[in-house]
Amino acid sequence: MKRYLVILLLLITGCAPWVKVGGLYKSPPHNFSVELPNGWMRLNTGDRLYITRDGVLLQNIIIERLNIEKPLEHTKKKFSKDMLPQEVAEVVLDNISSDQTVLNFEVKENIPARISGFPGFKVVFTYKNKDGLWLKSILYGFIGDEWFYGIRYTAARRYYFDKDLRTFEKVFESFRLIKTA
Amino acid sequence: MRKAVLPLLICFIVVGCATTSLPPVTTGGFVFEDDEKRLWLRSEEEQEVLNDSGLIYEDEELEVYLNEIAKKIQPPEIFEHISFNVKVIENPYLNAFAFPNGIIYVHTGILARMENEAQLATILAHEMTHATHRHAVEQFRKIKNMTAFLATVQVTVGGLGGGYGDLAVLLGTIGTVAAVTGYSRELETEADMEGLNRIIEAGYDPTEAPKLFIHLKKGLEEEKRKEPFFFGTHPRLKERIRNYETFLETKYQGQRGGIKNSETFLEKIDKLILDNACLDLNLGRFKIAERGVAKYLTIGGNDPKAYCLLGEICRERGEEGDKEKAKEHYQRAISLDPSYPEAHKGIGLIYYKQGENALAKKSLETYLSLSPGASDSAYIEEYIRHCSKGERR
Repeated sequence: MKRYLVILLLLITGCAPWVKVGGLYKSPPHNFSVELPNGWMRLNTGDRLYITRDGVLLQNIIIERLNIEKPLEHTKKKFSKDMLPQEVAEVVLDNISSDQTVLNFEVKENIPARISGFPGFKVVFTYKNKDGLWLKSILYGFIGDEWFYGIRYTAARRYYFDKDLRTFEKVFESFRLIKTA
Repeated sequence: MRKAVLPLLICFIVVGCATTSLPPVTTGGFVFEDDEKRLWLRSEEEQEVLNDSGLIYEDEELEVYLNEIAKKIQPPEIFEHISFNVKVIENPYLNAFAFPNGIIYVHTGILARMENEAQLATILAHEMTHATHRHAVEQFRKIKNMTAFLATVQVTVGGLGGGYGDLAVLLGTIGTVAAVTGYSRELETEADMEGLNRIIEAGYDPTEAPKLFIHLKKGLEEEKRKEPFFFGTHPRLKERIRNYETFLETKYQGQRGGIKNSETFLEKIDKLILDNACLDLNLGRFKIAERGVAKYLTIGGNDPKAYCLLGEICRERGEEGDKEKAKEHYQRAISLDPSYPEAHKGIGLIYYKQGENALAKKSLETYLSLSPGASDSAYIEEYIRHCSKGERR
């Protein structure tokens, strides 16, 4: 029994290694590089990179790369290469707002933005999670080649959001694609 | 020691089994049991989460109408024990469910598919029976191992997939049983039978009961879609159809005709049909959204909002020929109401993507002039700048 428990723990920790970060982070398989804040923790899961300092429930930055053909989690809508940034933002927002654990969803801002030289969008929205915690998010996104890239900051609306906003802006400003078509 | 434990165990089992069956509140001499009180309190907590979630569809007139129908279904003395209250949840999936304390939630998705008041009464009567016949208490008493039960519910919820199915995460245990898993086949059959009885008593046409479920099942089959809730699952719909058809062939043989009230019903839900079509569009269920708008147009006649929504469906679906269809729908909306901003934007975006800069500029400028505070004005201004410079996107 103990042997299985040890194997299980090894598997769990092997699959989810949170590591301390700081400085330049390059991910050639995901085709991006970014400057990560010192002292934060990082977790890589498939298409996503998570970083947090106080815990993902309080604040997190997610950088994700999704193939535009890949189905989204909450809507059947799909990305396509010829979409305007505004249309890409619509799909992203529909995907988020169709998740019914995202309550009282409200878009505060939806504007064009340039991300690593690509035309994209910036959306700011607030919502309440299923435990009643109010959260605020900023999400930058764009389509480059066959991929959707998203850089999202989410934090508890009170206190935490403002506290780490500047850190997120630095992360966002440092985001670069390694290769562009 | 073992000798002492065994009879006790048998006693517990016997007592446990004997108390699972409860008389309906309709029989009189209603005694509110302790565990039932706890279930009601828990229900109130779960309802609080739902009511505060922003998912409640706000339409006071519709809510009054739904509650009037509920009052027709049950005799007034029942309301002394259970204060039935019907609310609508903004959710395009097919479902309705009742908490043991009589609070009934009906999804916009199932309401939008109904054709008349008799069909609405069928669903409400079924759900009200779960409350009057105390099915939640019975079901929970049958479950001796609550931990195992909760684990099963969690597994069920976990397997529902994303989107509006995630609603189950918010429901809590009682809500999940009522909305997702449903009750045992016997209790559901009782809800069908007593429900049918109630709608006949209220003067509704009972032949509408199976028709509703046949219609819902056909929709699921045609679109080959899977839905997470009780009334959106194929086997449960088949059960309902079989039950209603059997009752109509046996106990209620020859019982035909009665109130349908199609016109009043459709008039009350026409706005909801269009709002629900928007939810289906958000989910990317283009065909269902299109059907919803078509139904709305047959009820409400010409409406720029509906034609504009058809334009959005075609524009976002982006299949062959859709851009042209979208333009036609937007044009129709504009011809009905030249000051309807969204239609100008939709057509402007299509022109912009097609490189028709002059036409795009004109439509987008019209949009901004009609909707100066538009939340997407920064995008539109950028497109207009590109068009003015003659740039291709």
